[in-house]
Amino acid sequence: MNWKPNPLLVIGLVAATAPIVAHAKIYVSVEQAQKILIPNKSLVKNPMIITDELQDKMRSASSIRHPFQGDRIWRAVDGSWFIVDEVVGKHEMITYAVALNPSGAVTGIEILEYVESYGYEVAEVNWRKQFAGKTAADPIKLNQDIQNIGGATLSCKHLTDGVKRVAVLYDIALKNMNLSLKAK
Amino acid sequence: MIRCKPLLGTFVEIRIEDESPSLKALDKAFLAIEQVQSLMSFYNLDSELFQINARSHLEPIRIHPWTAEVLTIAKEVHLQSQEVFNCGVGHRLVEAGLLPRHHNLNHDSFGGIEDLQLIEPSLVRSSLPLCLDLGGIAKGYAVDKAVEVLMANGIQTGSVNAGGDIRVFGDRSQGIQIRNPLKPHELIQIGSMKEGAIATSSLYFANRNTSSTSFMVNPLNQEYIELSESYSVIANRCVYADALTKVVSISRNILHPCLNYFSAQAIRIPSTESL
Repeated sequence: MNWKPNPLLVIGLVAATAPIVAHAKIYVSVEQAQKILIPNKSLVKNPMIITDELQDKMRSASSIRHPFQGDRIWRAVDGSWFIVDEVVGKHEMITYAVALNPSGAVTGIEILEYVESYGYEVAEVNWRKQFAGKTAADPIKLNQDIQNIGGATLSCKHLTDGVKRVAVLYDIALKNMNLSLKAK
Repeated sequence: MIRCKPLLGTFVEIRIEDESPSLKALDKAFLAIEQVQSLMSFYNLDSELFQINARSHLEPIRIHPWTAEVLTIAKEVHLQSQEVFNCGVGHRLVEAGLLPRHHNLNHDSFGGIEDLQLIEPSLVRSSLPLCLDLGGIAKGYAVDKAVEVLMANGIQTGSVNAGGDIRVFGDRSQGIQIRNPLKPHELIQIGSMKEGAIATSSLYFANRNTSSTSFMVNPLNQEYIELSESYSVIANRCVYADALTKVVSISRNILHPCLNYFSAQAIRIPSTESL
């Protein structure tokens, strides 16, 4: 073990170190997540229009209020699904990918982006704007800016709710799509 | 490359700095964490921890070497900390609604980790009914296991962070930031580390509405701990850092004698504007 404390901290001058504000982490791209969660299978984009009725059912099953976007759904030939969604909490916004096997069981979850901010206002703004203009080179830089954060005991409960609504999506919509594609 | 998955009730980040790293190594490291979760989760009715709590006072229970190792370390820290660390507080967390109620809590009293004996390296039994919660130690252990897997698969440099329990490895010094307990979105650069672990105890992200209770219980008087500051412990292995943060935050003593025994050191970050 080799530990070097920040000398300003040792003499009790933490305030002298400019605070770093936790912002955002981009982990993997959609394409990388597809390779991680559903390796060696080609995925075809399968966007869906989410009816109000489906939207309501997903909402009541998960208690997540912001609408699900149906344009980030992919399907593999064998009936596996890859879905990208996000959960917006009071203090965080998480974009994540879920893989489902042909019978709808979750086979993997991968976090794509984690945006942390404090305060209620962030849930209101179109937070994706923060990433407008970012290129493939930027995630690396973002990740280098914020490393190794200790004491972050944020629970992943909110994300669990997100996965619940994806399960509802499968039950109500994707399952039938698998059946009708099989029938063809 | 850096990946993140929801595991252990939090977000687990694995970062590897090697160029063109083996992706299999990352997958295996996440699997090791999943295995710790499935063996030692209080929530999981199939976990070995559940079996220990349900039956170890009735009959010996055979357990996985990893579970046995965590229990052995838990006993060691319990002993060295003069009982400040004890995982036998699960029933108090259940009563507070912080853990699910799936045990018969009608026992008159529960024993502590000291009542659990390893009668063989992977065989345990208890002299009293138990309600152990490994939440204060298993996360750190999972981080260590993930690091071991990465290193065994040829990864040179990286880090594993399970909701703030961090271990770094490789020959490069890595900066460590922790949250300001008063303003958790602000990070404080507390130092840099090469080959080591740090864990932090604080309550700033607990759901602190009026009805909720602290998720830390003092094993000596069974009372809930209130904490506005945060404590971090630096150690060689994350399992020790994780367990020792409980010792330090319960005793509020960053010079607790057992730190020395485990070659660890502690840092207190006060919760004041004038920090």
